[in-house]
Amino acid sequence: MANSLFEEKLYSNEFLVTTEIGPPKGVDTSEMVHHIDLLKDKVDAINVTDNQSSVMRFPSLGGCLLVKERGGEPIFQVTCRDRNRLAIQADLLLAYSRGIRNVLCLTGDSIDVGDHKEAKPVFDLDSVQLLRMIKTMESGKDMGSNELKGAPQFCLGASVHPEADFIEPQLIKFEKKVAAGAQFFQTQGIFDLGSLRRFMQYASQFNVKILAGIIVLASARMAQYMNNNVPGIIVSQATIDELSTAEKGKGLQKGIEIAVRLIKTIREENLCHGVHIMAVGNEKIVPDILEVAQPVGMHP
Amino acid sequence: MIVAEQKPLEEIRRMIAPYERVLILGCGTCMTVCDAGGEREVSFLHNALRLAQTRSGNGSHTFSEYTVKRQCDLEFLDLIVDRVGDVDAILSLGCGIGVQAIAERFPDIPALPGVNTSFMGASKEWGVWDERCAACGDCRLAETAGICPITRCTKGILNGPCAGTKNGKCEANKDMDCAWILIYKRLERLGQLEKMRRYYPPRNFRAIPRPKRIVSKASIGVGENDG
Amino acid sequence: MGNSNIKNYQASRVKEPSYGHGFTPPCQAACPLHMNISEYIDLVAQGKVMEALQVIRDGNPFPSICAYVCTHPCEDACRRGQVDKPIAIRALKRFAVEFGGDRMIQLEAETTQTEKVAIVGSGPAGLACAYYLRKLGYPVTIFEAHSEMGGMLRVGIPQYRLPREVLDTEVQRLTQMGIEIRTNTRVVSLELLFDMGYKAVFITIGAHQSLRMGIEGEESPGVIDGATFLHEVNLGLKPSLEGTVAVVGGGNVAIDAARTAVRLGANKVGILYRRSRTEMPADPTEVEQALEEGLEIMFLVAPTRIKRKNGRLSVTCVRMELGEPDASGRRRPVPIKESAFTKEIDTLIAAIGQAPQTPGDFHLRVGRGSTIQVDPVTLSTNQTGVFAGGDAVTGPATVVEALAAGRLAASRIDDYLQHRYPLVDKEEQESLIGDLLPKTVEMIKKTGRLEPPIVSPEARTRDFKPVELIYDWEAAVNEARRCLRCGMGAEILFQDKCATCLTCLRVCPYHVPYLDDSGTIQIPPDQCQACGICVAECPAKAIVLRKPYDRRHITEELEHALKSAAESKFKPFIVGFCCQYGLFGTGALASLWRGAKAGIWIVPVLCIAKVEADHILRAFEMGAEGVFIAGCGEQCAREDTAFWVRQRVEKVRKILVQIGLESERLQTFVLDTTNEDPAKELDRFAERIGGFYLASLIMQEVKS
Repeated sequence: MANSLFEEKLYSNEFLVTTEIGPPKGVDTSEMVHHIDLLKDKVDAINVTDNQSSVMRFPSLGGCLLVKERGGEPIFQVTCRDRNRLAIQADLLLAYSRGIRNVLCLTGDSIDVGDHKEAKPVFDLDSVQLLRMIKTMESGKDMGSNELKGAPQFCLGASVHPEADFIEPQLIKFEKKVAAGAQFFQTQGIFDLGSLRRFMQYASQFNVKILAGIIVLASARMAQYMNNNVPGIIVSQATIDELSTAEKGKGLQKGIEIAVRLIKTIREENLCHGVHIMAVGNEKIVPDILEVAQPVGMHP
Repeated sequence: MIVAEQKPLEEIRRMIAPYERVLILGCGTCMTVCDAGGEREVSFLHNALRLAQTRSGNGSHTFSEYTVKRQCDLEFLDLIVDRVGDVDAILSLGCGIGVQAIAERFPDIPALPGVNTSFMGASKEWGVWDERCAACGDCRLAETAGICPITRCTKGILNGPCAGTKNGKCEANKDMDCAWILIYKRLERLGQLEKMRRYYPPRNFRAIPRPKRIVSKASIGVGENDG
Repeated sequence: MGNSNIKNYQASRVKEPSYGHGFTPPCQAACPLHMNISEYIDLVAQGKVMEALQVIRDGNPFPSICAYVCTHPCEDACRRGQVDKPIAIRALKRFAVEFGGDRMIQLEAETTQTEKVAIVGSGPAGLACAYYLRKLGYPVTIFEAHSEMGGMLRVGIPQYRLPREVLDTEVQRLTQMGIEIRTNTRVVSLELLFDMGYKAVFITIGAHQSLRMGIEGEESPGVIDGATFLHEVNLGLKPSLEGTVAVVGGGNVAIDAARTAVRLGANKVGILYRRSRTEMPADPTEVEQALEEGLEIMFLVAPTRIKRKNGRLSVTCVRMELGEPDASGRRRPVPIKESAFTKEIDTLIAAIGQAPQTPGDFHLRVGRGSTIQVDPVTLSTNQTGVFAGGDAVTGPATVVEALAAGRLAASRIDDYLQHRYPLVDKEEQESLIGDLLPKTVEMIKKTGRLEPPIVSPEARTRDFKPVELIYDWEAAVNEARRCLRCGMGAEILFQDKCATCLTCLRVCPYHVPYLDDSGTIQIPPDQCQACGICVAECPAKAIVLRKPYDRRHITEELEHALKSAAESKFKPFIVGFCCQYGLFGTGALASLWRGAKAGIWIVPVLCIAKVEADHILRAFEMGAEGVFIAGCGEQCAREDTAFWVRQRVEKVRKILVQIGLESERLQTFVLDTTNEDPAKELDRFAERIGGFYLASLIMQEVKS
């Protein structure tokens, strides 16, 4: 019995497509709502990021509520950076009560990369402990071993980094996340399919769904910037070189081209169970990508 | 070792502004080792303050200087009783413990901190000190091949590296090693990788409630016999 | 803790820090006169020749003589030899003597005692004894059998090694002091001296009697003994030598005789020595110079018979090989059977050794090798009031040993005349005996020994002018800078302040401080190179240099400069810490020193490594508008000095900025980092400081 529409799709053998929306820095959510409307019927679920890159924004929980309101399927991103175990458990109770049943459990980027560099980093939990905690809640108890008056049930996801330079520690952690209850994984940006293949060779032994993260880059300079400043992103040199061949002003198109190519190959070769498209501020081009890439099972 | 860094001169000048006669008190233990508040630094600060005073033309402080072996034990502070009789403030170059001890021992004299106490750490080469211990009260170095994830991982997480590690370095500071990569390498070297595969539950952040106290003496009631 | 406990604790804590003790360096320990060699070498390195000469004269009344001919046991003991080559101490002494104006020095003394003392013999022991006794106030007479004063200095050592004028000047000075000199006066009876009113007699007749070879034909014409030969030459009698000359022997007398023969015009001069080169007692430098002058040395050869044939000498020689060691510890030469060969020569000079010739009428007890026997403590002979010393007692020895004997005899004679118990001097300081460890040697810059200039062999064999010339300033200073300053290094004076922070261990370029088994830092005095870096870096200020002068030097010089600056009222003024060694030792730094114009006050420092941040701050506090530190760069005799100075400079600059002063007010000039003339750089710096100063005056005007 699936806990959400997305969970149903997870067990359906369809090629999954998710994407993410970054909320605004402020109370004006009009653009976000516009993006939600644009994408809600074209993807299987929409992630709402949570103070991504440690930049303060409208919260994921609020964004997920909006997605739900507009008729989409939200994935609630929970990071451990900003809230302690009490706050996280409380938020999850609220999320469940409002029909937000998909949770992506993340450790969270460090405070230093964001725009509030003097804030206190919480990290009361890490991603593995978060997964376990939710499992505990699902069994009717909170972390203090107290009985819950009504237990929530979720579809749980986590992230993994197949292109990490030291791969074994990532795999060790991946296994721990699986053991802790993760059902699906959205990977960090994939640029080299070879590493994805190698990862899938190992990951396919586990009963989890892997969605390859596809980042849409707009220029070689953006790629370099992300390489140097954004945690978890390693853009391959080949990709940067390809981006620099684009004419001025046509960078985004090149980025789309690359993204589409990756999605197509993944789909055609059945490399993994789906893709998670991260447009990083260019949410409006996601439908275009989807059209061109035409993955089967896409909603019309 | 407790490691500290001397406060910027301007900040110290602002702090001592209301006080005329200031005793600059150094500490001969940790602050000497990390070269933030030993006898040499006391002398240096003294000279710098006098120079600042001369050059700016304002401020009319009279400084005296002295260094005790430690400031954190009141008995050492008893040794300077004669030196604080006519002093308006004590500018301590000891760590935060020392400053508070001074405030407690001499409650009528303002105790001012001249250094920013920063961490517990060690130095592998001259002039460079690294934080090594967060005093979490629940040491788990046996599980992590002697490398502390709480201090050396910027997020202090316990179940392996986050996705921000690149080239074995931390996302927050590219000069810092990713602690979990270090731990992984050393566990592999020791043949103990299964320690990394284990699940570590969330930390007890209140292992000893703050402000912490450790009591090592046993309490023995009056008139109790053995057995 | 009761109050009484606190008081007890305090009482036990109040202790004066120990003085900090030094060690006697090996050079001083090896010198018979116990000269303070490292002190005068350091003064030469600082360019302070007059002060250096003063230190030399404190220990040696005839420095010019030793400067020419001393056999330098100090150099043999010099630990610099463990790095590359020993310091050329004797040549540096000569530099100090010449450039320090020894010639100008007048001596005087006054008579405060009544007892007359007679000194028989005017060699170095006699001269020294006369000097010291005269200084003590005694009327002294020197009796010399020859027509000229000096003993072996006059008749034994050739003039190309010790010029006449030098010896004459020294003798002159003794006369100035009021010492009575009677040449051409042979003493035949000691009773006569006592009858003449002398209360004590010092016999120092030397060892002038040549030993006989003991072979057939030794008496033939054309065979002369070395001592007599040199005697005649030095007294102006010029025996002409033609043809081939052979000298038998391997000591300094043999070499002297041979080289003299070359200068007198002999066609070919050779030396026959019965042992090998390593056993040769002559000074190796002398031997090398002899070889350069065309002398041949035949080793392991000894003459067995001399025959006069057709106006020439036919000498039969036999080859030797080395057998078991003899009494002197050297391997005994043993003739090889059937190895005899003959050489035809014109003159043979026998210089196989000398012995004293004590007149029987003196009734002195004479021992082995015809030497006069004396009590080792009082230096008295078997006759009351008669003392002896020098070669007459020891057998042929060195000039410096004779000087030491003369000095000791003077104090013993004084003891005797004043009826004092002769106390033996106790050694005050430990001698430094350890060798340098390889890891220390590795880090020491190897510069090689700068030899003083020598006249070319062709030029010098033409006459008897001195062979060795004097250093120029730069060479002398740079040679003196090679000194390792043995025993004058750092020590942890305040052990209770030491927090064992390991800073000294980490910053030492020579890896000297180490942690012993008990976890205490040790700074071994025999490895420390006295660079001063750890002293300036120690966070607890627990380390000092052993020489008290080194400790206060900078502070004193700085206060002096600041006082002068304040008195001159010249504004703006700049304080410059300049390396004193670099002043003469490096051309470039010298030009900076000398180029310093009005308003620049130089604080001489003994290496910039000793300049601490506190010194710089003090200069600024006392009104300096700019401060610079000028060091020798590549030519610094110690490692890493510029690096540490720059660390301290950066630290002070941060403070300057926080106070509102420009960081450019503090500069380092280190010679290897710039190709520009440092004097020009200094001018630019002074200009900029002038600019800052004016700007600050304007600001003040504006504010008020």
